[in-house]
Amino acid sequence: MFGIPARFTYLMATQAQAKPSALQTTFRRIRARGFFSHTLPFWLLLPALLIIAAIQFYPGFYSIWLSFQDRQGAVWNFVGLRNFERIFNSAAFRESVGHTVVFLVGYVVVTIFASLVIALLLNRTVKLSGVYITLIFIPWVIADVIAGLVFGLLVVPEYGLFSPILSNPTLFPPKGLSITSDPAPRPWIPGFPFPPAPAMYYLILASAWRALPFVTLLILAALKTVPRELIESARIDGASSFQALRLITLPLILPTLVVALFNLTLGGMNGIGLVFTLTRGGPGTATEVLSFLLYTIGFSRLEFGRAAALSVFIAIVNLLLILLTLRVSRLEERVQ
Amino acid sequence: MTRMSMFGYTLRKRAQPWLTNGALIAIVAAMLLPIALTLSISFKRQEDVLRRPPVLLPCDDAEGNFNLAACRFVTEGYERVLAPRPDPASPLGFSLTGRMFSTYVPNTLLYALASSGLVFVVAGLAGYAFSRYRFPGRRPLLVAILAITGIPVLTNLLALYQMAVDLRKAGIPGYDERFFIIAVYVGLQLPFSIWIVKSFFDTIPRELEEAAFLDGCSALSAMWQIVVPLAMPGLLAAFLLCFVSVWNEFIAGYLLINKRELRTAMFGLYDFLSQNIINYQVIAAACVLIAAPVVILFTLTRQIFFQAMTEGAIKG
Repeated sequence: MFGIPARFTYLMATQAQAKPSALQTTFRRIRARGFFSHTLPFWLLLPALLIIAAIQFYPGFYSIWLSFQDRQGAVWNFVGLRNFERIFNSAAFRESVGHTVVFLVGYVVVTIFASLVIALLLNRTVKLSGVYITLIFIPWVIADVIAGLVFGLLVVPEYGLFSPILSNPTLFPPKGLSITSDPAPRPWIPGFPFPPAPAMYYLILASAWRALPFVTLLILAALKTVPRELIESARIDGASSFQALRLITLPLILPTLVVALFNLTLGGMNGIGLVFTLTRGGPGTATEVLSFLLYTIGFSRLEFGRAAALSVFIAIVNLLLILLTLRVSRLEERVQ
Repeated sequence: MTRMSMFGYTLRKRAQPWLTNGALIAIVAAMLLPIALTLSISFKRQEDVLRRPPVLLPCDDAEGNFNLAACRFVTEGYERVLAPRPDPASPLGFSLTGRMFSTYVPNTLLYALASSGLVFVVAGLAGYAFSRYRFPGRRPLLVAILAITGIPVLTNLLALYQMAVDLRKAGIPGYDERFFIIAVYVGLQLPFSIWIVKSFFDTIPRELEEAAFLDGCSALSAMWQIVVPLAMPGLLAAFLLCFVSVWNEFIAGYLLINKRELRTAMFGLYDFLSQNIINYQVIAAACVLIAAPVVILFTLTRQIFFQAMTEGAIKG
């Protein structure tokens, strides 16, 4: 403006307007920076949110809807909770819950214990630990289908490379083991499949083989955060190395161990590629875990409503596990 | 400290590295054993595969003694997977006619590249928004995305299958379409990738962008010219993790695709199992050929993987 010094225009502006409301400020800012740049975060998020909504949320709700339906011919009928009722009352479901529990306990315990030992060893050596962790990590990159095929090839009766060991009657009395055909022994507690069939042990071994590297890496990362001075001062005070591990290291990495536990439980409950190629639920139903039962009901027998009810059940268990993981790892707090 | 325990202490100090290394070498050997055995099977002849009792290496001579000169390693298994035929039209002089490498592996490569490329872009944009802007609903969205990372494909598959069939009926690409399967892979990988990318963006100081803003840079160009290059390891990690997961994915590809010419390599392997009931060397060779690309990719880029998994992944 001509003739009026800048400081006067400033004064005029402040006097003419009282303190603007929040809404006014927002509008003014939008006008100043343009509609597009003000709503930029929304545009940045839009593609991701659309895809996640279509591929994750919508099918999730669709499953819930399906679980209350039953198909007769081409028509879906609302049947209330009957799908759930029929699933929960079926012997196959109860048996497969037992198999899943046995599998998960074995898988989680074996993987965490082995990973902890390996991570403790890796935390000690300085020189070659990069090479070791790279080599140990290779199984993690290998697909579960391939792991299933490979472990399957090794125990083919008579021709598999492990079969001379497994069928040796002195190692496995009374007449050797066969992963592919030995049924489960008589259960200790009626109705609960323990001790399991040899195939289950083998399935646990193969699954642990694939999951171990990742858990080792997680634990190793946690071990690196344990201050060395703490351990050293404990050792000087006379603690044995096992005591230092039990009383200092383990409590400090406990959150990581719990996160690993939940991660493994989640992965183990939902992994299907290995079961698919290694045992196909057999021999008999000895390794029929919930994920495989879901596949059988849904895609072999095409009972969609019942399979949806089962998948809703599995999803609820998963969500509970995830929420527990979030609580334990306090990841929510990291969401700043 | 007595002389004796002093001696024990030094002895232990000296011996410890050897013991640790020895134990680690044993562990590495045990972890790689199944892979080594598969390699050995894949190079055997049919007769050696079907020997009773099985032999570790087909290296015994007529008297049954181990003799390196008598080793009978052949590439029959690989030849049967690849089925190379002379082809003057091809620049290499031959073409691979085995279905695995003429159809399934190129399909998998296409799906993996397309979906990880899309994830790279979409997760990059979303991760940037989550890292740099404060907007209403941000926290619940982030927690929801974090929660989805744990929900596996399995529980959604039934609905995705039904959705794919419905879309196809409506004339939209759904069941048996490349577009749909790529979209499914992107959707499955996005939540975890967003999380990784966001935590990488978080480590880049804001001052850099603020300086750029003062110099008159717009938000988008600041992101493109300053933040993206610095966050490249995180973006690459999202790309690589997505690539490996899609390459290895089986069940979604198996259930959502029916046409032979659209099937994935993992389906091909599963199919091999039923076609080659006693040709173990063929199955082993196929496994080696399909696992090799991702194993090589991983060994070349392991630093990115490790960094992403310890920094960005769910940890305590």
